[in-house]
Parts: sequence; C-alpha cells; structure tokens
Amino acid sequence: MTIPSLSDYREVVGRNIVEELYILASHVGHRSIKMINSTAVGGGVAEMLHRIVPLLNELGVKANWEVIKGGDDFFDITKAFHNALQGKEESFQEEVFGTYLSYNEMNFRATDFEEDLIVVHDPQPAALIHWNKHRKNKWVWRCHIDMSHPNPQVWEFLRPFVEQYDAAIFSSPLFSPELTIPQYRFYPAIDPLADKNRELDDAYVNGVMAKYGIPRDKPIVAQISRYDPWKDPVGVIQAFKMARKHVDCRLLLVGDKAADDPEAEEILAKVRETVGDHREIHIVFLTTSIPTEINAFQRASDVILQKSLREGFALTVSEALWKFRPVIGSDVGGIPAQIIHGYTGMLVHSVEGASLQIRRLLNQPELARKLGKNGHKRVRDEFLITKILKRYLLLLLALDQADQNTIFLT
Amino acid sequence: MEKDPKRVITADQVFQFSSSASLEKLTGHKAHNLAELFGLIQSCPDSSIFYHTFSAFRILREVQVPYTNGFAMWISESVNDEALAEKLASIDLTEHNTIASLRGRILETIEAHKKENPETFHRTATKPFYLLDVIRIVYLTDKFAYDLRSFRDLLHTISVDSVYFHFIESRLYTQLESDDFSRWIEESLNLGELSQQIRAIDINVYTLEELREKIVKTIDEFLENTEG
Repeated sequence: MTIPSLSDYREVVGRNIVEELYILASHVGHRSIKMINSTAVGGGVAEMLHRIVPLLNELGVKANWEVIKGGDDFFDITKAFHNALQGKEESFQEEVFGTYLSYNEMNFRATDFEEDLIVVHDPQPAALIHWNKHRKNKWVWRCHIDMSHPNPQVWEFLRPFVEQYDAAIFSSPLFSPELTIPQYRFYPAIDPLADKNRELDDAYVNGVMAKYGIPRDKPIVAQISRYDPWKDPVGVIQAFKMARKHVDCRLLLVGDKAADDPEAEEILAKVRETVGDHREIHIVFLTTSIPTEINAFQRASDVILQKSLREGFALTVSEALWKFRPVIGSDVGGIPAQIIHGYTGMLVHSVEGASLQIRRLLNQPELARKLGKNGHKRVRDEFLITKILKRYLLLLLALDQADQNTIFLT
Repeated sequence: MEKDPKRVITADQVFQFSSSASLEKLTGHKAHNLAELFGLIQSCPDSSIFYHTFSAFRILREVQVPYTNGFAMWISESVNDEALAEKLASIDLTEHNTIASLRGRILETIEAHKKENPETFHRTATKPFYLLDVIRIVYLTDKFAYDLRSFRDLLHTISVDSVYFHFIESRLYTQLESDDFSRWIEESLNLGELSQQIRAIDINVYTLEELREKIVKTIDEFLENTEG
C-alpha cells in the first residue's frame, strides 16, 4: 500500500477538517520544526513520527526528524530510566547519570538545531537542551509516558533539564508531574489510514477468522491486547464465563508479548489454565502481529474489552471505537478520556461489572450501536492523527504569543 | 426590502466564515471536593472557565452527553451530586457574552446549592477535578456568502468548529447577545423574521451537526415560502 497523503484523509476525517489544516498552516508559513527521539522503528512514538513528519511537510511546514545515537550501555540506562519514571523502584549509581549525559552531549555536538521549534520526545534525549544555552528558537519536551509517580532519584536528576525547556507536553493531566514551565495536553492518536485501522473487505475479515479457526456462528466478545498481567486477561475470561451463563457468545483473546517479557509465558499459562477446555474461548497468541489481522479481529467482534488493571493511554480503545465497536473499558489511565460512561462506551471497575456490561451490550443492540456511533465521533474529534497535526500547527502559532489567551489570525 | 432573499449586499456586508481551535494547557491545579472546586472557579483565569464550559460544550454535545459542561460532568461522575450537576448543566451559554457573567452565574448556582445541601460540599470526590486552560486561535476561512442562498449552500461545507464558533462562541468576542448567523441575516440581508427563527433554535437539544441541519432546514423553508 502506498503511503497516504493528506488528501487521502479528506474522505475519512472530512474535507473541511483538512481544509482548515491548510488555513492554519498558511499562518505558520515557512516555520520549521525538528522532532528528536531515540528510535526510528518500533514503538508508538516512531510509528507516529513516520506519519506526522511527512504530513507536516505536505502542509508546508519544514519538518524533519532525527534519531539520537547511543551504545547498548546508553539504551540499557534509558530503558531503566523509562521504567523508573513510570514508578518502578530502583536505585542508580552516579556513573549511570554521567553515561547518560555523555551520550546526550555527543548527540548535541553531532546535530544542528536551527529550526524554529525543537520537539524532544521522551527522556532519552531530554538533556540535549543543556548544551544549547544561547538558543533563540523554542524547545518543547514531549513526554509520552505516565510521569504521575516518578522515581524521585531519576526525576530529580532530569527535572533541571526539563525545566530549561519553553514548555512540556503530556498526554493527560493524570500523567504530568509538577513543573515550573507551561504544560500542554496532546492526546495520542491513531492513524485511520494505517493498516491497523483502514477499512477492510468483509471477505478479508472472514478469511482471517477462518485462518485462526474462529466460527462466526455466535456474537464475539474480544480483548485484543498484549499478554500482560496488567491487561488482566484472566479477569476477562472470568467476566466472560459469568456472562456466558446468560448469553450465548464466544470469547476471543488475541495478543502478542513484549520480546523481553519473562512474565508473558507465565500469564499465558495462567490464561490457558483459566480457560480449561471451554469450547467457546479462543486464544490467539501472535509472535509477530500483522496489523491488518488485528484490524480484522476488531471488525469481527461484537463487543471489545480493555479490562486493564493499569494503563498508559490504551489507544486500543480508540482503534475499536473508530470501527464503531461498543467498548467496555476499565476506569484506569487514559481509558476514561476515550470512554464517557454510557455515551461512548462503558467503564467498569471489576470482573462483575465487565460481565454485566457484556450481557447488556449483547442483549441491547440499539445501545451497542449508539455507543459505537458516539465512540466513533469522539475518536474523530480528538484521537486522530489529523488532530495531532492541528495541535502542532497551533503550538507553532502560540509559542510566540504564549501570554495570549486568544489569538486572532488575520 | 423585507423578505427578499436575493437582496444585493455591499462588499463590507459579505459574510466570511471563521473557525476556531484550541490548544489545551495543563495547570497542575486540582479539586478534591466541591469546596475546592468553588475556590478554583473563583480564582482561575477566564480561559479556564471558557475551557470547562464553552469548549466542553463543543466536545460533549457531539456525543450526546446530557451534562455538556466540565464542572457538571465531574460533579455527576465523581461527587455524585446529580442535582448540582443538573443545575450547572442547565446554564445556557447563549445567555452569556462575557466570561465574567458566566463565572458569576456558576458561583451563584453552587453557593445557592450549598445552602440547601451543605453536607455534600466537603465530600471527597472519587476522582480529582483537573483544571485545564486553553489558548483559543480564531481564523478566517476562504468561504464567503454573498446572499442567503450562497450562505445556505456554504453551511454544508464548513466544519462543525465553524458552526460552533459563529453560533455559540463568537458572542464572547462581539459581546452581543445574538449569534453571528442570525445577526448577519438581519443586518445585511434585512430578513428579520428568518433571523428570529434562527436565533430561537435551542442549542441545547441538538448536536452541532444537527444544529447545522436545523439552520439549513429553516432557511430552506423560508426560501420555499418566499420564492414559491
């Protein structure tokens, strides 16, 4: 499939949405923006930058993207920092911070920072700003991780660097720490034209279900999410078994596992044990997930669950809502930003709650349809890649006038 | 000139559609009960009041949430005080052309409710309320209406943000009591009766898409009656 251009988005998000992006971009003029992160492939940030950067260029903004370099020692440290900033208890030796800074300095020396706006993503390159004391351009730190309970040792080390930025961006007020600089909220987003979300032929969807041996004779309830204890696949099975006493349906669990996750095998074993010989529960374990197949599983489902115990933003919810699926999600992390209980989905707090909502949505197709339709609207308004483009354009326009509450472009 | 939809207008009377967009800011301020929320509403910038009322309306109206007001949503979901949520949600944004007046009305509503229900005021919420702020960016589009028919045709092509801006938000900038559409129809096209019909449309019962359709339908009926 060819890479979609901005004009391809007109049909899915609305012609006038794209027209207004061009109007905003005309006010941005030829201002330039550089994105900096630590990986070119793998992970949601790289995936998004691969789309955002060309689309910004198509709008006339001079956008480029650089990936910092580092040895295994650097990336081991930044991975540990990442986990610590998300709350993992760990103590670090002083030399670890020295190694982190030396790689940041090396990358600073090897990079030009001439653009009007520099957006530094996540903690790995956060200290780059330190060597750029006399900058005339604007620097913004985009943090994609949940920093609500950061490890104090790592955070006290990083905070002085972060506070040198002109602003920071977080995905939710739940995820942001206290800072002396302005903070903006950018929701993460899905790409409606990506293989994981684009329209599919029914024949392809049927083919995928046949390939994995899942009959389409009964309504399908699914959780399509990594095998991870925090995603609570065991709770999903328990909720399904309770609901199954009242409504005839199948459960589909689809997921992969993080490559370096020793807990995944353990949770899979527990999942299989909880399933037993139940003929209506189908477990699909993918070593490499194919985006169009994930898309097909979501489109073949009648109800989608995201029964996580702890979450980041959980864009799997937006993926399902975009496909007009009714979603039952736990009231944790970024899920309530996507699901307004009773209107764009159902929020639950327990296995029992999930079970009740499965029964309700399978027995009340009108309600399920309404939730799917409203959920689609919510995603269209807030959680699509075109909204991220708009936010970057607004940021470019607002950073020069940060003290203004209303900016009139004439 | 009354009832002449083909009336020729001068260049300065042409209607140029605008639109608006928000850049949301995190403030770090939170409330854990109604007393703290009251304090935040008293002291926060106008732009925060705007975000939790006007912006919330834009976002929540589309998914048909009954409480199209961020304060009311939180009070309903996290404080479980439905009566106060209903009272705040029923404040009509179109009756306020300044944030000061809207803020005053919200504070009065909460204070009056407190007198009747003092026990709920310090009840700890199940989730905190996060105060947000917003930078509004208002911009002109390249769509111009020269008469009623071109205006009606363009209504189908503008974004819901543009519908929202002209019908709801712009009164904060004009400080007038009416929306831009009905005012232009009255002042530039001299169609007072149609203007009144459009002004009377209740924004609280329609999504913005439905609002757009309702305005178009009202104009179509008017055109049918006047043009035969």
